[in-house]
Amino acid sequence: MNDFIDDSLVNDFLTESNELIEQLDVDLVRLETETGNTELLDQIFRALHTIKGAASFLNLDAMTSFTHAAEDALNKMRKGEVEVTEHVIDCMLKSVDIIRNQLKEMADGDAITYGPQHLIDALHKIADIKSPQPTASSSDTPDESGSAGAADAVAPGGAQVRSIEFPPQKADVLPFMVDDLLDSAAQLESCIEQLAQGAGAGEISQRVVDLSETMQATAGFFDLEILVSLVKMVRAVGDSLITVDEELIPAIALRVRTIIHLINPYAEMIGECREPVWPLEQFADRLETLLSGKKIEDQASADATTAIEVLEADGVFIPESSSPSSVATDTPVSEAAGPTTPKSDDPKSETPTGTSGAEQTVRVEVKRLESLMNLVGEMVLTKNQIRGLGRTLSDHTLPHEVKEMITSTVSDLDRLTGELQVGVMRTRMQPLDKLFGRYPRIIRDLARSTDKEIDLKIIGGETEVDKSVLELLADPMVHILRNSADHGIEMPADRLASGKPETGTITINAAHQGGHVRVEIVDNGKGLSREKLASLAVKRGITTEAQVASLTDNEVYQFIFAAGFSTATEVSNLSGRGVGMDVVRTNISKLGGEVHVVSTQGEGTTIEITIPLTVAILPAMLVGVGTSEYAIPIANIIEIVKPDESTCYSVAGAAVLRLRETVLPLVDMTDLLGEPRDEQTGQFAVVIESGQQCAGLLVDRLVGQQEVVIKSLDDEYTSGGPFSGATIREDGDVSLILDITALTRSAQVSHDQGAPVPAQTSIAV
Amino acid sequence: MTTTSTTTDLMQDTNTQNDSELLQLVSFVVGVEEYAIPILRVQEINRMMQITRVPQSPEFVEGVINLRGKIIPVVDLRARFGLGCSESTSENRIIVVEVSGRVIGFTVDKVNEVLRISANIVDDPPTMVSGIETDYVEGVGKLDDRLLILLDLNKLFGDVDLGAAGEQAAADAA
Repeated sequence: MNDFIDDSLVNDFLTESNELIEQLDVDLVRLETETGNTELLDQIFRALHTIKGAASFLNLDAMTSFTHAAEDALNKMRKGEVEVTEHVIDCMLKSVDIIRNQLKEMADGDAITYGPQHLIDALHKIADIKSPQPTASSSDTPDESGSAGAADAVAPGGAQVRSIEFPPQKADVLPFMVDDLLDSAAQLESCIEQLAQGAGAGEISQRVVDLSETMQATAGFFDLEILVSLVKMVRAVGDSLITVDEELIPAIALRVRTIIHLINPYAEMIGECREPVWPLEQFADRLETLLSGKKIEDQASADATTAIEVLEADGVFIPESSSPSSVATDTPVSEAAGPTTPKSDDPKSETPTGTSGAEQTVRVEVKRLESLMNLVGEMVLTKNQIRGLGRTLSDHTLPHEVKEMITSTVSDLDRLTGELQVGVMRTRMQPLDKLFGRYPRIIRDLARSTDKEIDLKIIGGETEVDKSVLELLADPMVHILRNSADHGIEMPADRLASGKPETGTITINAAHQGGHVRVEIVDNGKGLSREKLASLAVKRGITTEAQVASLTDNEVYQFIFAAGFSTATEVSNLSGRGVGMDVVRTNISKLGGEVHVVSTQGEGTTIEITIPLTVAILPAMLVGVGTSEYAIPIANIIEIVKPDESTCYSVAGAAVLRLRETVLPLVDMTDLLGEPRDEQTGQFAVVIESGQQCAGLLVDRLVGQQEVVIKSLDDEYTSGGPFSGATIREDGDVSLILDITALTRSAQVSHDQGAPVPAQTSIAV
Repeated sequence: MTTTSTTTDLMQDTNTQNDSELLQLVSFVVGVEEYAIPILRVQEINRMMQITRVPQSPEFVEGVINLRGKIIPVVDLRARFGLGCSESTSENRIIVVEVSGRVIGFTVDKVNEVLRISANIVDDPPTMVSGIETDYVEGVGKLDDRLLILLDLNKLFGDVDLGAAGEQAAADAA
């Protein structure tokens, strides 16, 4: 059966299920604290149910049976028959892990392993705690799923109906799906008529198969169990039509008509966000019997001559008007299928899923966004060149009107490219919550395994950053959190002893700050120990005793980012292998970001990460040094001053700039870059900041501000200098972008060697 | 070649065929010597353009240029060969080549011509060629009126291990 499921369907399933799994993690942890939140419980149930439905459609038995067990357990909680305890949540979270693993196996093309029996047993136990009769947990019968469905109701005819909800993006296309379904049903009918008139079975068979595939795509997308089983039947008919004995064809045709008879009211009901619950098992069995070339033994069913009779004989009880809103079943006019679905007066049905008006979304491959981003980068460069051209032209003797036209066209182009760039960049932006969403689970697990009590607070999760930033931030964040939970937060008893609340708190605080995103991870644990860090740093040969003595506490703390440095006396399974914080710094500097640690012993530790919002385009100030122009990222510039003898002097051989109350190391760019000197040299001092370090750069001229597209400079011919990249200027020439981090660091080092400055100091570890 | 060839053609053909294939080269001048590289390695030849100096880079690196939106390094071949500074003339050119996936430009005093020579007139490099380390020399082509030094681009530019993949990835990222 699997062979008729195409890859795109599988991919959709994987993407969607993975998202649901992430959400499940978050919701389950929330549920633990909000045990009475039935809405949340329903949400969890729906997510699991969706995964189960899709898995069963794709014939993923291992996943279906497992999700099924989890669903049963969850259902008990929804009915209030099982209390939401830590143990239950543990089981559920483990189940989520198993499903996640199964999804991964599927994505990797491996065989999906069945869930561990002990966990399934545990789930069954939860499901059965208060009900001696186990719920049917063997297969995916419509009957049983009915009992699991939300808001079960009995339709007038006796058939059960449950309301269903769709995620917004699905709800939006619901009317189209209903149309498609009715259309397919009509086509199927014409096929069967032709078959009855003696058309070639081969041709009809192919058409039926094609139709079933169309329907199957819809059914799979909407995760509708009944429809899935109906479509499977149609498919089976199509497959065996050629091989089956001719005398059975009328009986099969009748059953296909029966299916059509079912699909029509079904489509109408789905259009109203309700799904009937039909026990189709017997019907399916008998159809299968027929298709395998045997006659049906049950007399009533075999003798049936109309669809209704077949259904009655096979135990599917569907009266003529099965839906409460009594949509005529035999005239499947797509009234209800149009965009104005609701027929009833109930205002709720006008917003079938409670999510109408939600944003419509389209999934786009990241690759496409990236190539779009590159193109916009090129375009910004070209725009800059045109702007330069415009300036050159306006110097020429042209008619005034022409000059004006050039100016206004160029400024229009400027604005449009700017908007385009922002727009494209925005498509790549994702909220940090996408990353932070996993953390409550991580912290909960850590707390459980270490017997600590830890509260995680997340502030500013809606802050958006570029996708690439998000991805590179993932690992460092986990490392930091683990460190905070493992090494920072003390055991409850120790906390009480030192007069703190038993429960430790880790706060993640994210916010935009200029062109940067700042993420703080604050814990109120025991803080870092200067003595331990300093002695370790000396032991590891990172620094010397003499140097340590002159360092401030915060300078000593930065040692935790050095490679092979771990303060945990014992290596735990959580952290403490001495690689974590090193990875943190490497990853963050890859993003052009910074990481700092501030700590007060006994009160806690704050780790602060600052990273640029985007890595490709940045506003920069072009400055002239000698005969060249260099770019300095605007985000790093604090101010620009004109130094004179009163503010610019030398301390112990190192040049410094006195800026109001602070003294900054001063870098003579002419010297550093080997540019020629003249009377213009060192006219301006650009005060830059990187992390918490400041420095002044002496430059000759200020050229102006420009958006620059960063091009890498990393082959062995051009790397090595204090440059983070290069960019193409308006005139088409290349300017190098100054690496502010490297400059401030080297300035501080040479400065510190000259004379330590108390106010603004730091250390390059 | 074909049977319809004239006698002279045939004679030339036997000459070349017996020993090896034809080499298609681009010849250029650096200092007083004439050098050549296989034409298939050449991406393009440009007139001199604005080269941005990259401070703190190796001495023989002249800087970087904007090659239609891509930034590529340019090596001063005179400096690479230790021949001292070149005088800039209107005949100076930047030859752009690809060496193990990396695009690199180098400056030459003058580009001479595109020529075909038969591989059998190329000798192994002598131990010393006009002061250049012979590592870079693949062979010496003996033309009727002059000598041609065939350069090995891989040895000339590919001697530092920076994978092509890494650079490409970095370029894509930017």
